[in-house]
Amino acid sequence: MVAAAVLVVLLVGVLSLKLAQLQVYDSATLAGLARANTVHRVVLEADRGIIYDRHAVPLVQNTPVWNLEIVPADLPADARGRAAELAAIAALTGQPEDGLHAVLGVADPFTPARVGPDLTDAQVLAFNERLPALAGVSLAHHAVRTYADPMTFGHVVGYVGPLDDEDLKRLRPRGYQPDEVVGKVGVEAGLESILRGTNGWADVEVDARGQIVKTIAMQPPVAGHAVYLTIDASLQSATAQALAAGLQRDHKTAGASVVIDPQSGEVLSLVSLPGYDTNLFTHGISHAAYNRLVTDPDRPLLNRAIAGQYAPGSTFKMVTATAGLQEGKITAQTLLGCPSYLSYGGWVYHNWASYNLGYMNVAKALAVSCDTFFYQVAAMVGDVTLARYARAFGFGQAKAIEMPGVQPGLVPDRIWKQLQCDAPDLNSDSCRWTLGDTITFGIGQSALLTTPLNQAVYAAALANGGQVLQPTLVYQVRDAGGEVISTHQRQVVDSVPASPANLEAVREGMRQEINRPYNMNYWFRSAGVPADGGGKTGTAQWGGSGLDLPTHAWFVFFAPYSQPDVALSVFVERGELSEVEAAPIGVQIMKFFNGSRAAIHTATPKALA
Amino acid sequence: MRAAVWNRLDHLQPLLAGMLVALGLMTVYSARADWMRQLVWVILGAAAYAAATAFDYRRLRALAPWLYLAMLAMLISVRLLGRTTLGAQRWLSVGGFPLQPSELSKLMLVLVLAAYLSRLDRISWRAFIAAIGLVAPVAALILLQPDLGTTIVVVAVAMGMLFLGGARVVQLGSVAACAVVVIPLLPHLLHGYQRRRLEIFLNPNSEPLGAGYNLLQARIAVGAGGLFGQGWLHGLQGALGFVPERATDFVFAVFAEQFGLLGSLLLLAIFGTLLIRLLRSAAAAPDRFGALVAAGVFVMIFAQVVENVGMNIGLLPIAGIPLPLISYGGSATVTTLAALGLVQSVTLRRPLLLRPQAGWSGNITVRAQA
Repeated sequence: MVAAAVLVVLLVGVLSLKLAQLQVYDSATLAGLARANTVHRVVLEADRGIIYDRHAVPLVQNTPVWNLEIVPADLPADARGRAAELAAIAALTGQPEDGLHAVLGVADPFTPARVGPDLTDAQVLAFNERLPALAGVSLAHHAVRTYADPMTFGHVVGYVGPLDDEDLKRLRPRGYQPDEVVGKVGVEAGLESILRGTNGWADVEVDARGQIVKTIAMQPPVAGHAVYLTIDASLQSATAQALAAGLQRDHKTAGASVVIDPQSGEVLSLVSLPGYDTNLFTHGISHAAYNRLVTDPDRPLLNRAIAGQYAPGSTFKMVTATAGLQEGKITAQTLLGCPSYLSYGGWVYHNWASYNLGYMNVAKALAVSCDTFFYQVAAMVGDVTLARYARAFGFGQAKAIEMPGVQPGLVPDRIWKQLQCDAPDLNSDSCRWTLGDTITFGIGQSALLTTPLNQAVYAAALANGGQVLQPTLVYQVRDAGGEVISTHQRQVVDSVPASPANLEAVREGMRQEINRPYNMNYWFRSAGVPADGGGKTGTAQWGGSGLDLPTHAWFVFFAPYSQPDVALSVFVERGELSEVEAAPIGVQIMKFFNGSRAAIHTATPKALA
Repeated sequence: MRAAVWNRLDHLQPLLAGMLVALGLMTVYSARADWMRQLVWVILGAAAYAAATAFDYRRLRALAPWLYLAMLAMLISVRLLGRTTLGAQRWLSVGGFPLQPSELSKLMLVLVLAAYLSRLDRISWRAFIAAIGLVAPVAALILLQPDLGTTIVVVAVAMGMLFLGGARVVQLGSVAACAVVVIPLLPHLLHGYQRRRLEIFLNPNSEPLGAGYNLLQARIAVGAGGLFGQGWLHGLQGALGFVPERATDFVFAVFAEQFGLLGSLLLLAIFGTLLIRLLRSAAAAPDRFGALVAAGVFVMIFAQVVENVGMNIGLLPIAGIPLPLISYGGSATVTTLAALGLVQSVTLRRPLLLRPQAGWSGNITVRAQA
């Protein structure tokens, strides 16, 4: 009996000691483990800012999409239960089980990992019923970008996509999570930091099945800013339609057009065709569809308006004219011949016409686009000065517009030619700038390259008296509460160093071109659009040197002639005759513009909020 | 006369049992188990306690052979008719009530062994082996359910009663030696599926992801309790379901999380006092049968408390054993309360002359009484 009593005291003592160890000595550690068990941190996704046009027409929506999330640590602990649960999940999502294992194999055990594709409504219902029986599984909804009319707006708005490894390395320090999205192209990418917002978090208490019991603490997310573009949605559609119709009529497949306000630099429409469905990228694109886009010979993913670089051809002649006038080589009244060809250094350089057009002043030369006239002017001005004027008009400069991938184009000069040269001796003849380079430079050929956006800014500078404006796509930025964060301010990048009288002589040439009877004027009259403005066509050769080279067709335009409020560029890839292929597209755009001029110029976001 | 009866009763023992029952109900409630049902069992158990106290335990001695046969019949019928849950056949439906015969058999074995050992002045080798022979089929039937936890308790009860009944250390030692030899062979003597069951039972953590999970979660709960506990109904581990079998096998972890070290020590102190109280009843019993009944109940409760608390805090391997009067479960609650009632019945019928005058007179051995 005594022995038994002693044993009781002894064993109770041992149990007490072990209890003291657990509840006093190890208590802090074990309490920490208890918290790790029961408290999970959940990221609260911030709504991405909405992108509107200048009249608050939404160009993108955040649509809720449901996904399955798994916290690997909360799956059933025993192997059989785990296997059964994964099989059930695979069956409900219609996804192979291997995929699940692949995702879970690399996932952090305590953070929810998104598995499987977006769920359909039926799948969401099915999961809701089964959820209590599935430990560690939860339904999470997150917003997916759905773009309005992506074939028309896709190249402006762009799209978002999951972070790739490079993005992650770059953006991790800024708090990006691996399962977030980031703007990939277009305004979505250019305004990433404005649109993104700030994610919040919540510390939630979960039970052993991973179900949320209550929220302990939270930091609400801050939605991204709303962006009101300078784009007019209806003008954008009209531009796209006019361009598409023009391309189709002439059996062309690619082109671009940019319409800009020459007084403010606001881009009113920016179209590149062919377009593509940006929604494919946010809602999950198939491998085959992606391959089709990448291998399409018409390169739909290329935003030609900002990144397509082409020789400007005759549309460049206003630069040569301005340089000749301003440098005193010619006056507005100087008459030069327009023969069918000229020879320089033993080489023959042709005019587009095979007959002599006679003597003419600079305005007439612009109107009839006489090549030989501008050969002479270019030769008089010289390549260095010509390059200076080209740069002053904004050629060769990447416009700081709010999207990535903007290309500068190219203004060639002597040093550039030498650096480009692949002959062993950079001082050899083939590497040296020649007079031939200068005179072809003068008609927008040589190695000169520009983009439709640069051309629109150039047209705007001719319209507004020589001011090269900073083009912009963003009219206004507002926070989620509607407070205005910033509004676009007009910004002059450069001024063309030319007197008003000299610029006026150039503009006069552009006015004459569109008023030529039986030629350009026909398009205006037949469309019922007043030919009150200035325009210039250009058919640029590309792909080397020689005769019968393929061409691109250009048209630049501004209106009305005095006090212009619109400037535009039209580009037709592989266009053969700019007066017939590019100019009518510009006229059709103007037809729409004239019909809604007042509405387009009124940006209404102020009236909102 | 009434006053005489009242004075003879052990007043502390039902008080301690009542405290345990109250703490048990609180813990079962906090573990989100069906506490109303448990309350019904407690009330039934209290009735069984009163009935057992009133009943003259000496009449059980003559009934012992029948009790033994009834016990075997019950355990065999479980094998034949029993309900299978969680891979084990432990339940028998009696008039619609689920009954766990193995719980009941603990007490019945106490009575049978007490009756047998009380006939002997000294425990010869022959008597010792006969006693082992009585226990072996019971232990085997329970082990085959399989219910290792209860088997351990049954063996502990037998060994404890033999020891307190006067068996020599050599005799008990030889059993231990046999166990060391036989247990490793046991898996080979069983059929494939039985062996597999036994293996899973002996080592429930053979599933890799389950390894240590139950044990770890129980230890986390205990540790999270700290010195003062999280407070009643504020234990997260238990309430959120991280502690497995939170109302039965791991009820102690749920208790310790909420009431901390102070609460746990109080609980152990109540159990300790109750156990000493049972020993005292054994020492003061009017006859050897009564003393052995009290001693058997002592061992039965002692073994369960040590094993249950021990496995909850990671000192002993996991075996499914309820914590007496705390864990959720009807058969165990009613059996334990009935057992305590029987000990009270023994105490009530002790000769007044032998009533200890000044506290514990520890050197009265059961053997000397005979």
